[in-house]
Amino acid sequence: MRSKALKIALTCAVLAAALGGLMYTTLSDGTEYYIHVDEVMQDRAAWEGKRLQLHGFVADLRQRPNSLDYRFNVQFNGKVITADYTGVVPDTFKNESEVVLKGKLHGSGFVVEPNGVMAKCPSKYNAQTVRTAGS
Amino acid sequence: MAALGSFVLLATFVVASYALAASVAGGRRRSRALIESGVGAFYMTAALMAVASGVIVHAFVTGNYAIKYVQRYSDSAQPLAYKITSYWGGLDGSIMFWVLLLSVFGSIAVATNRERHRELIPWVVAIIAATEMFFIFIMVVHNNPFDTFIAASPADGKGLNPLLQNFYMAIHPPSLYTGFVAMTIPYAFGMAALITGHLDDAWLRAVRRWTMIGWLFLTFGLTLGMLWAYEELGWGGFWGWDPVENAGLLPWFTATAFLHSVMVQERRGMLRVWNVTLVITTFFLTIFGTFMTRSGVVQSVHAFGEDRWLATLFTVFMVLIVTFSFGWVIYRLPLLKSRHELDSWASREAAFLANNWILLFSAFFVLFATMFPTLSEAVRGQRLTVGPPFFNLWMRPIGLILLVLTGIAPLLAWRKSTLTNLIYQFTWPVAATMVTGAAVYALGIRVWSSGLCFALCAFVGATIVQEFIRGAQVRQGASGADILTALIGLVGRQRRRYGGYIVHLGIVLMFLGFAGQGYKQHEENLRLRPGESATVGRFTVRHDGIGVTNDEQKQMITGHVTVSSGGRQIAQMAPARWFFAKHEDQPTTEVAIRRSVGEDVYVVLAAYEVESQIGIYAVTVNPLVNWIWLGFGILAIGTGIALLPERAFALAGVKVPDAAVTTTLLLLILLLPAVAGAQTVVPKSELRKQLEGDVMCTCGGCKAPMNNCPMGPACHGLKEQSEKLDRFIAQGMTREQIRAAFVADHGGQDVLAAPIDEGFNKLAWALPYVAGATGAALVGVAARRWTRRRDPAPDALPAPAPIDDALRARLDDELRDLD
Repeated sequence: MRSKALKIALTCAVLAAALGGLMYTTLSDGTEYYIHVDEVMQDRAAWEGKRLQLHGFVADLRQRPNSLDYRFNVQFNGKVITADYTGVVPDTFKNESEVVLKGKLHGSGFVVEPNGVMAKCPSKYNAQTVRTAGS
Repeated sequence: MAALGSFVLLATFVVASYALAASVAGGRRRSRALIESGVGAFYMTAALMAVASGVIVHAFVTGNYAIKYVQRYSDSAQPLAYKITSYWGGLDGSIMFWVLLLSVFGSIAVATNRERHRELIPWVVAIIAATEMFFIFIMVVHNNPFDTFIAASPADGKGLNPLLQNFYMAIHPPSLYTGFVAMTIPYAFGMAALITGHLDDAWLRAVRRWTMIGWLFLTFGLTLGMLWAYEELGWGGFWGWDPVENAGLLPWFTATAFLHSVMVQERRGMLRVWNVTLVITTFFLTIFGTFMTRSGVVQSVHAFGEDRWLATLFTVFMVLIVTFSFGWVIYRLPLLKSRHELDSWASREAAFLANNWILLFSAFFVLFATMFPTLSEAVRGQRLTVGPPFFNLWMRPIGLILLVLTGIAPLLAWRKSTLTNLIYQFTWPVAATMVTGAAVYALGIRVWSSGLCFALCAFVGATIVQEFIRGAQVRQGASGADILTALIGLVGRQRRRYGGYIVHLGIVLMFLGFAGQGYKQHEENLRLRPGESATVGRFTVRHDGIGVTNDEQKQMITGHVTVSSGGRQIAQMAPARWFFAKHEDQPTTEVAIRRSVGEDVYVVLAAYEVESQIGIYAVTVNPLVNWIWLGFGILAIGTGIALLPERAFALAGVKVPDAAVTTTLLLLILLLPAVAGAQTVVPKSELRKQLEGDVMCTCGGCKAPMNNCPMGPACHGLKEQSEKLDRFIAQGMTREQIRAAFVADHGGQDVLAAPIDEGFNKLAWALPYVAGATGAALVGVAARRWTRRRDPAPDALPAPAPIDDALRARLDDELRDLD
């Protein structure tokens, strides 16, 4: 009975270690830093080249005529960064909407990956998040 | 009215706490009277919640915008159906809806198991009542849906977000809630078994059906969520591993595991600790999912607000659940010993065990990855997120392994499969896998996960078909019937087994759809002038122009697109963007989908220029998506078959306790106000409505205007007047003209209800309130009846009665415990 318990414990330990190790290696490839605009602006150099999910509010949204190129400001807590994006934007993407942008810092601005714009869905549960834009 | 609602909520809390106290006391003292009164009070909570729901639905239907919740989630322009579904449209109402479902399900579960599992009932009632109390507590102190504006109340509501005003959103949340709530019942029975120490397999029988129902609704809710994402959101996919989706998936994994491992316990008396743990975990995950999505702990694309207070409450509740539940498990460990050991790894129980581990691992993986941003922030102070690629990387192989097990497990024998047996069972399925694999390779599909998935789908499909054919052949040999009759007989005889196979078939079809998403997807953004065309995959898309139209609710910008393939026109499509009044800044995307068995052409109007008629489209070709929805249909049929009562037509013959009949009647009465309110909103023109108040019914008996004739629609006078009214309206006459026409026709002023008095209107409006009050009074009477002990001396047996079925079943149960 004791040896059986030991066997089970050993098997579990090996399995857990293997899975944990595997998960750790895959995790480091797949992670992105979730960060707000003001945090990036505090120490720009540190975030250069890293995959980011940038959280903020859209302002000054412009679209190049006859194209799907967008340029807009993302702001949070008084800090602003300019972002560029080419592609289809969600319905909820407009000035003052709360967005999470996937992409990297590039030069003076932020370049959004294809399909990297996530505007917060209208939730049934709390609609006021959009209204507190800029706060 | 709002005050009534708040009062009913408070009353429910009191009644639920009484049910809890009486049941615990009754269970400990073995006092029949206390237990009975606890059960009565428990039924009462369901009735009271129905009253509260009636009040809020009534408020929505009549547009009582003094209530904050009503004002925030509806407006007067909303169609009636969406007014009603706004009930569960927001946080406060969804909690109330939760309690309503829980109390109703709980009552049904208690009523149906009262005789069979008498010793468990007080504890079941106590557990469910405690859960109800938690949610009512949240409502009463923090999220009261009946809160009113203190100052002047607004004239109209803000209206439900247009994105949420569609069929799927009306039924997707309640379906998920139903699944979540149904999982409380197995938990309550499991805990009752732990507390009483009646840990034989009886409690499992009581909860299996509930788990299946909950599982079905969870699956339904998840599928509807996918369908909504696919058809409404316009990003071309259906599952994005968003925390809110994951919250629904977590209990699904553990419930699926439980549905399988329960068979092992029934057959072999093994995995007893495991099963009880799964039931607890499933319940915990439903609460956790609710916590995760409502408290703002996890960042999601769904904009949930942060609510520290709610988060704290939920955390306390969850800690209590874990300590209480696992405390009991540990205390009862000696009673939970397995009766048998695993004989061989080539056995069905071993395969089920593997399936359980993987499902549980999936649950914890998804939980971990969903919580990863929160965890990393807590540990490292830096919020790291993982995206869909990480989920896919892990869930693809996991899904494929589960798929293999779906095929293997049912074909293995219990205890030990011999080699001959294995060869006999697996020759054909393996052959089918090989052939499909080769075919997939020959067709040029080089994505390993999708290719493997197709091959494995063939494997599982072959095992299922083989089971049906072999079973039918055996039956045919025994009965001499034709193969079809034999098949039907086979499924009828072993509903759980063959229903389960059909469920598996549904799962296989869904996997086909998932695999299709993996192996080929054409996605193009096109900017086209009128007449221009472009190629996406094997389709040619031509832009014909932009149209602008209006209706009462919205402005619609529609792109007109012609899709052709191989030079042949196959579809005219009209993707659009709709601008709802009040929500102009937030247009909704109306996706155009050309469905087919093989692949969908999915067109979104991304942007447009009205002057130059240029349309910008996002076009996606989605292979095999429709198999997911079809798969769900098959899965639902399979679950339905497995759920059918054991004896044919037993459902019709089930002895319905009279209390249940009364409760149902009560519910119907309570629904009356809602219905009465609803009737006033039946689409009639404003003019007609006004005139129905102006013109008297001529039946002679009622002396009331048309809209208030007590005889109802069957009244001959009313019918006559109504036809006349229709005729006048059709002639395009004004209100005054019609009134004059009625007077002329009738020959006197008395056909008018003049002077038009507010009194009639008031009377009409008072009707629902009167009905509501009657309902409440009936609740009181019923409460008195139920809490009264009906049989004065349970010990004094009546004259020896013939043993009825329920008693016999109980006797069977008890005899089985002896071995």
